[in-house]
Amino acid sequence: MAGSYQIPSETTKNLAVQMKRANELGIVEYPLERPGKGECQVQVKCTGICGSDVHLWKDGRIGIFDAKKPIVLGHESMGVVTALGEGVTEFKVGDRVAIEPGIPCSECEQCMGGHYNLCPDVLFKSTPPYDGLLANYITHPARWLYKLPDSISDEEGALLEPLSVAIAALERVNARFGSSLLICGCGPIGLIVLAVAKAIGMGPIIITDVQESRLKWAKEMGATHAHLIEKGLTDVQVAEDIRRILGEAPEYSLECTGVDTSFRVAIMATRNGGTCCMVGVGKNDQLLPVNNFAMREVDIKGLFRYHHTWPKAIRLLDSGALNIKQLVTHKFEFKDALKAFEVASDYSQGSIKVQITN
Amino acid sequence: MTLDNLSVVLKQKGEIVLENREIREPQLGEAQINVKVTGICGSDVHYYVHGGIGSFLVKAPMILGHESAGIVSKLGPGTEASGLKVGDRVAIEPGVGCRMCEYCKGGRYNLCPEMKFAATPPVDGTLCNYYLHAADYCHKLPDTVSLEEGALIEPLSVAVHACGRAGVKPGDRVLVFGAGPVGLLCGAMAKASGARAVGIADIVESRLNFAKSYCNASTFVLPLTNKGEANIDYSRRQSELLRNALMSIPEHGGLGGLPDVVIDATGAETCVQMGMLVAKNGGVVVLVGMGSSLQQVPIAEASGREVDVRGIFRYCNTYPRAIELLASGAIDVKPLITHKYALDDSIAAFEHVRTGKDGAIKVQIVA
Repeated sequence: MAGSYQIPSETTKNLAVQMKRANELGIVEYPLERPGKGECQVQVKCTGICGSDVHLWKDGRIGIFDAKKPIVLGHESMGVVTALGEGVTEFKVGDRVAIEPGIPCSECEQCMGGHYNLCPDVLFKSTPPYDGLLANYITHPARWLYKLPDSISDEEGALLEPLSVAIAALERVNARFGSSLLICGCGPIGLIVLAVAKAIGMGPIIITDVQESRLKWAKEMGATHAHLIEKGLTDVQVAEDIRRILGEAPEYSLECTGVDTSFRVAIMATRNGGTCCMVGVGKNDQLLPVNNFAMREVDIKGLFRYHHTWPKAIRLLDSGALNIKQLVTHKFEFKDALKAFEVASDYSQGSIKVQITN
Repeated sequence: MTLDNLSVVLKQKGEIVLENREIREPQLGEAQINVKVTGICGSDVHYYVHGGIGSFLVKAPMILGHESAGIVSKLGPGTEASGLKVGDRVAIEPGVGCRMCEYCKGGRYNLCPEMKFAATPPVDGTLCNYYLHAADYCHKLPDTVSLEEGALIEPLSVAVHACGRAGVKPGDRVLVFGAGPVGLLCGAMAKASGARAVGIADIVESRLNFAKSYCNASTFVLPLTNKGEANIDYSRRQSELLRNALMSIPEHGGLGGLPDVVIDATGAETCVQMGMLVAKNGGVVVLVGMGSSLQQVPIAEASGREVDVRGIFRYCNTYPRAIELLASGAIDVKPLITHKYALDDSIAAFEHVRTGKDGAIKVQIVA
């Protein structure tokens, strides 16, 4: 089944959502490109907003990447193929596709070793200096597009990127079925991790947050325990609470907030010999309880994006084992993109995933 | 009951005495070992000088020593399965797990919550004439491995476990921070594990000169931190220089690339930080040295390059492999033994290790 789409003409205006400088977002005209060799032209239909997009908008930078010129945002997208470049045979015009935003070199030691996320020359769309996917039309190598089955809606197609992060996080720690898990943070990543963890048979699962309203989501999605972090407690006390409520020290911990106190808590709560992974992005340098994790052989891992996840993510969603489309709480049309970003960045609006449709 | 068991006792912080204690009979599953050689570890000295390490506090007099080898003098009932006979020369693995908990049953008995480790309070150590120990934790030495070497199997086990946790495989580049006995053994173990290049970094050049020949390593002298400079600033600055040095080919003193594995055998915050900054993408930093409880670490950079950080706690399942490494000649620990003392002169031996004088690497007490 083809999605609805418009093939652009010579005179079609291509618009993009661009961060001009810190805290200044605008909808601008953007070059309408013909697809080159091995590329497809894609009409982007649905794009989710990520915390990193919000940071880039507000601060003009994300983590160790500094935007030195205006940049188009967005990397959680799906769309419809509107033109084929030379040599592209695996897609036809009208195909609905999900877009994997990172384009590695495919030749270096990391790429050849199966870790293309660590390619030193990766071109990741929306990480400075590369423009992102929030445009009406983009071109992208066919190699990094994935055909969507009819069972996956546009919203779900755009959720494949954060779903990829969740899959990568669980694979990073070698999460095994029947093992206990601590998830810190009930944002979209924490909640999608919860959904995948349940789908692969992990349990018991405890998830934490500082906001009661967010914990409600976790309860509805079947967390064994959804725990509100009490204000004013020390990191050690919070870690003890987590173990007491779960009934054991979790074998795996996935820290999905990036906040350093939360990471310390996750480390200290993790069972001896377990693994704690920082999924969220936070301060560059953090004070960590090194003796605590070293002498208990708690392995510390970080996560950088994902590799080889889209096909799995599609299969997982297609199987019906996962229910995550309810996480899309707000949708805005392209012309209201600025409003979308404002809602995404305002906690009081209670959004989980905000998407922009075209 | 004869009191014929000369024991080196830490009475309290700062006070070591020699006492004659009773020779006890081996109980169910135990072997009685006539201890012949015991090495002194930095941790032994730490208990002596500070009266404790972390939450392990010396609350009552305790016999010191945990790096020992000796001769089986008697066997208790129920020891047949160990295969030991009276007269066998054995290396003593000092930490005995409970054998029942999930860690013991899962093979990670070093993490056993009921672990009884020689010379970790309140468990008495091995520095005596006759020591009782679980027979299955006494490992027979082949004729070609001396008792002095047997006593070095304990610190060698730390290196074996560290390299195992790091996953050192043939062709890897390994960088070790710290050229003390543990760092040297980690370098040697990395080589024995097939590393194509081993580098050792230290602030003391003389230690590096020994390291260069001992494990055929490229060496890197680290300057001291500048007064008032934050450790993280030193580490960022120094890492740039270190990375360039590591990238140069071995003929020019480097490793030919960034390390797959970094082992920290210092516990110093700067070394932990530098390790995370110089390891290659997807590499691993293993923390062997013990340092301050809270440390500032460059987690975003390590995370963004998927550099894993893993600590070690002692070792498990290492003795048989360590014995084989010594027997085959893959690792030679004899050059590390720099000084020997008689049991009667144990206090002087501890003082020697405390001051580190005369280029001491491993000081042993021989009965």
